[in-house]
Amino acid sequence: MSPFGLFKKRRDDGPATQGVDRGFLVFENTSEVIRAEQVLKTEGWQIRVMGPPPEIQSGCDLVIEFPPIEELNILRALREAGTEPLQVVPVSSPLLQPVDLFHVRDFGQHLMVRGANMKMTVDKATLTIVNISGGGCPDVPYLAQAMVGKHLAQAPSPGKIGHTLCGYALQLAFEEMGRRCLR
Amino acid sequence: MSDIVDARGLSCPQPVLLTMEKIKKQTKGEVAILVDTDTSKENVSRAAMSQGWKVKGVKPDGTGYKITIAKK
Repeated sequence: MSPFGLFKKRRDDGPATQGVDRGFLVFENTSEVIRAEQVLKTEGWQIRVMGPPPEIQSGCDLVIEFPPIEELNILRALREAGTEPLQVVPVSSPLLQPVDLFHVRDFGQHLMVRGANMKMTVDKATLTIVNISGGGCPDVPYLAQAMVGKHLAQAPSPGKIGHTLCGYALQLAFEEMGRRCLR
Repeated sequence: MSDIVDARGLSCPQPVLLTMEKIKKQTKGEVAILVDTDTSKENVSRAAMSQGWKVKGVKPDGTGYKITIAKK
C-alpha cells in the first residue's frame, strides 16, 4: 500500500456502512481487487466486482460490493489475508448506484457486451471479435491488438494477458460474451 | 475515387461496425472512412487490418480524420 493510502483509510470508529443498503470496498490496484475477490468468494461472502459510481471512479478502478451487515467480518478476513481496502464507502444515495456490470446491445449483425468500463463487439455470424474499446488503461491497445480479428473461442483470455483493471473488466465481458454466443 | 463511410459523430463501436459492413459488401478496392476521434481512428484501422485490408493513409480532415483503406 502506498503511504497515501493511509490517509484515505476510514477511521476505525465502527462500521462505515451501518444503516445503509450496501457498501463498496475500494482498493489501490488490480491485484488487490482480484485477491480480495478470491479471498471473499472462497469464504462464501456474497460479493460482486462492480464498476464504481462516478463519485469514486479514478482511472480503471473497479470496486467490490458487499453486504454492509457483514462489514466487520469481511474487513477482518481481508486484514488477515493482507488485502485491506483503501476505503469503505457506504451507499444509500441514488447518485451512488454502481455502473451495471454488463450492458448488452444488439446491433443486428453484431453484439456488444460492456463489462464495467470495457466494451467487446463480436460479429454474430462468424463469432469474430471486431472491436475492443474503453478503459483508458495503458494495456488496452495491446489487448485490442491481441484479440480483434480472432474467433471468440480462440482469442486469448484478457484476464491472463492484461495487467490492469481494464483487463479484468474485459475478462468479465469476454466471459459474458462466451456465455451468450458459445453455448 | 474511393467510397466514403461517414462515421463522424458516432460513438464506439459504431464506426467499426459501419466499416465492417462496408468491407463485407465491398471485398476489394479502396474505401475512405471519416471519423472524429482518436479512438475511432485506432479501432477502425485495427478492424480493417484484421480483415486483410491495408491502411493506405490517415489524414486530418476537419476536426477528425480520413482513413483510407485498400485491398487488392
